[in-house]
Amino acid sequence: MKRDVGIVACAALLAVATAARAEGEITSDTAAQFYDVRSPTGETVLARRRVTTTLGVSAFDLLGKERSAGQHHEPNLIFRARLRYDADYGADAASASPTSLDKLVPGFSRGPVDIMYGYVEGRRFVGGALGFRLGRQLMTDALGWWSFDGGEVKVTTPAYFAVEGYGGLEVRGGLPFSGAAGRWERDGVSRGDRSGYDAATYPGFLDADVAPAFGAAIESAGVSWLSARLSYRRVYNTNTPFNGAPGDALAAPPLVAGPRLSSERVGYAVNATAPKVGALQAGLVYDVYAGLLSNVYATADVFAGRKVTVSADFDYFRPTFDADSIFTFFAAEPTADLGLRAHVDATARLSASASAHVRTMETQTAPHLEGATRALSAAGAIYPSNGVAFNEGGSVQARYRRLDTTAQLRATGNFGDGGDRVGADLYVERVLETRYLLSGRVGAWQWDDKLRPDRSAVNVGYAAGIGYRFAPRSRASFEFEHNANRLVGQRLRFMLWLSVAVLP
Amino acid sequence: MISRLLAIALFLAAALAIASPPAPATTPRPSPLPPGAFEPDTGPSDVIYPAQSIPLRFDHKKHVKDLGQRCTSCHPGGATSTQVADRLTPPGTKCDGCHASSHADLSAVRAGTGSAPGACATCHEGYVPGDGNTVARVIMQSANMVFSHAKHSVRNIGCAQCHGAVEELGIATRDQLPRMRGCFSCHQKSDAASRGEAKGACDTCHIKGQGGEAGLIRTRFPSGALKPPAWLRDAEHGPDFIERHKRAAGADSQFCGNCHKEDFCTDCHDGRVRTAAIHPADYLSMHPVEAQLQTQRCTSCHREQSFCVPCHQRLGITQSGPGGAHTAARFHPPPSVWSDAPRKPGHHAFEAERNLSACVSCHVERDCVMCHGGRGIGGGVSPHSAGFLAGCATQLRRNARPCFMCHDPRDAELAQCR
Repeated sequence: MKRDVGIVACAALLAVATAARAEGEITSDTAAQFYDVRSPTGETVLARRRVTTTLGVSAFDLLGKERSAGQHHEPNLIFRARLRYDADYGADAASASPTSLDKLVPGFSRGPVDIMYGYVEGRRFVGGALGFRLGRQLMTDALGWWSFDGGEVKVTTPAYFAVEGYGGLEVRGGLPFSGAAGRWERDGVSRGDRSGYDAATYPGFLDADVAPAFGAAIESAGVSWLSARLSYRRVYNTNTPFNGAPGDALAAPPLVAGPRLSSERVGYAVNATAPKVGALQAGLVYDVYAGLLSNVYATADVFAGRKVTVSADFDYFRPTFDADSIFTFFAAEPTADLGLRAHVDATARLSASASAHVRTMETQTAPHLEGATRALSAAGAIYPSNGVAFNEGGSVQARYRRLDTTAQLRATGNFGDGGDRVGADLYVERVLETRYLLSGRVGAWQWDDKLRPDRSAVNVGYAAGIGYRFAPRSRASFEFEHNANRLVGQRLRFMLWLSVAVLP
Repeated sequence: MISRLLAIALFLAAALAIASPPAPATTPRPSPLPPGAFEPDTGPSDVIYPAQSIPLRFDHKKHVKDLGQRCTSCHPGGATSTQVADRLTPPGTKCDGCHASSHADLSAVRAGTGSAPGACATCHEGYVPGDGNTVARVIMQSANMVFSHAKHSVRNIGCAQCHGAVEELGIATRDQLPRMRGCFSCHQKSDAASRGEAKGACDTCHIKGQGGEAGLIRTRFPSGALKPPAWLRDAEHGPDFIERHKRAAGADSQFCGNCHKEDFCTDCHDGRVRTAAIHPADYLSMHPVEAQLQTQRCTSCHREQSFCVPCHQRLGITQSGPGGAHTAARFHPPPSVWSDAPRKPGHHAFEAERNLSACVSCHVERDCVMCHGGRGIGGGVSPHSAGFLAGCATQLRRNARPCFMCHDPRDAELAQCR
């Protein structure tokens, strides 16, 4: 790890040196949190002593023209990078040791280091038509958040659309500078760094390997009332997928090696606004490998005057997984939410939103069919459906904001066959004399676990924080949180924050 | 359920009634308004145009329509100014020519005595003769934006094109300052060179950030925080925007990035600290209930096999892992309901169908293969959905790995997918 940190530090220094004549900043955010997770019988199961710290380096206007008067649209180069160290000193070191089989948690690391992002971005080249990014970068569109190492090129055409293409390697947990745990890869498979693992040790924990990826997108450009993006992405697995051990019941599945599909998806999102009328926002995601729509959403907003917006929301979601995962082929029903919402800007400082929704899902409560399963499988009628179940919920949120004060109220209720959850939070933050920070949160939540009634409880909690802003973007603060409920008794959490921004 | 819905509806109605503003008590704002203003107008952004105090009397209509003055007669900088910091309101000396007053020495201003009204109180509201010859101060802060009058005037863009019909008004205030929606009538352009010079990028008009906002547009001002209006990408940052922001972000990959760095997003989407605005109270104890409510969207921020499973393994509540505290009955209903035949409501087969994501947050696939695998101890209980066979050939060809987890390549059943 020391070597990793050294390399990254050198790279950061090099970047800063390169950007010596440009404008830049160095930022760091550190959060330390201390709390225990206790079992229902009271003993501490996990002692969390976590420290997360990031170091960010940015340099802007590397070509030196951007800030000149009247040069807003000259080509521009930007560099951004952020390194993260995320440690849990409360964890047992043996949990990360492949030789401690009684305590090993596959893929666990006490202090992984990762590069959250690090890229050079070019804007407005070739007369403003060409943009690009090179390095570890984040991407957001209808397909969700995603990160990859590689390059992206975007060409903005005169015809109100831009074309984008990208390729590289998906960021996966267990690889260098990627952290121990995967975040951006598709779910359903447990992967990571198996260095030091015996073949028989957690064979289901697969060795991570590079994942080539590429994609393309067409996006609207240049109009304020419409944004739309059609995106396509394909990712490949290259790792060795099986790690079966002799004698294991699953030991001898045939090896599938070499590049194979990890995910292939198409997404589309559109957002059209008529300023005096309303807006329509919609999108979908189609999983090409699974052959199904995994997400469809639509929102119709009506601007009922300048202060009131009334909305109808629809959201359909069906989980899909990595093509390596068997969960891809499990029968899984989608959930569909239908909601109504109203938003009011009561005054310039006070706004409120209220919503209610019904969540539907099909349940398949057919009689036991084991004996006939295989025959019915061919007929496509393994699980005949017998109805639709409903969950309901709603929330009210209000916010009051002044220059130095923010107060936010949230009240939420969710009800379903599996459980109920009702509660409210009030959060207040105030800045005194532009430097002294005060914050407080108080809330009461009741949950009813209908599958495990002994896990139902009412929680009353509060948090109080103080801080000091010693520079415009630099602050130190402390927060104390106290929750009480019958499951855990008293739960305490201590938080320390330190944010520093330096402008060379 | 009906009672619950009624309760929610009543709750909603009551909240809206409380939050609804009272009937407007203010007098209608003067018309006409600048292009892009709404009717009724609530004024321009307080953040972009900080509050003003103009304790003056002035009649634009009389000066322009009756006396034939041009805008630049009193506001010559309106054609030449290159920065918003330039003061374009005329100094008192500009009035002296017609009103015979003298503002040359502000410590000894003299009232006019000519044909045009020249008394101090003619223009200065609240002026009290004999009160030390003082008048209330005009307070007009610079707009928090980038703007060059000169660039617009050389393109033959007249004053009214941005400020509206000021000649119909008495005093002009910040209500006559340009609205962003009006700017878009020309700046509806992309960054491509072939789209003219009225660029539509945010930093064409908005100030670039510095000191923590570098690379973005500046959003924090003494007058408040800059937020997008509802009509722009439908991205009004209301109190529930955190639950709705995907809709704005998904359709425009760059929109959020104009004001927010990646860190702002990754604090939640790749976060390491529980965000109380999302997960309230003792969420560690509460989160199973939310999962049981079929909330499958934990995956927006958490990858289950990386975030959930390791923690559950450390806690010992998973089937695989270092164990210790776990027993199957502790978490799931008893085997007679959960796993034994015959299947009935509450059986894990149905729960998995309702919320497969919840299973994936604790179980690795080998847990399932033990029973569902063709050679597992369960002898191969099919987990496939109805109609599975229709698409399995393509899937087998593109990635056979999940198939071979349960099936031997020589399985007769697998032949149906070849």
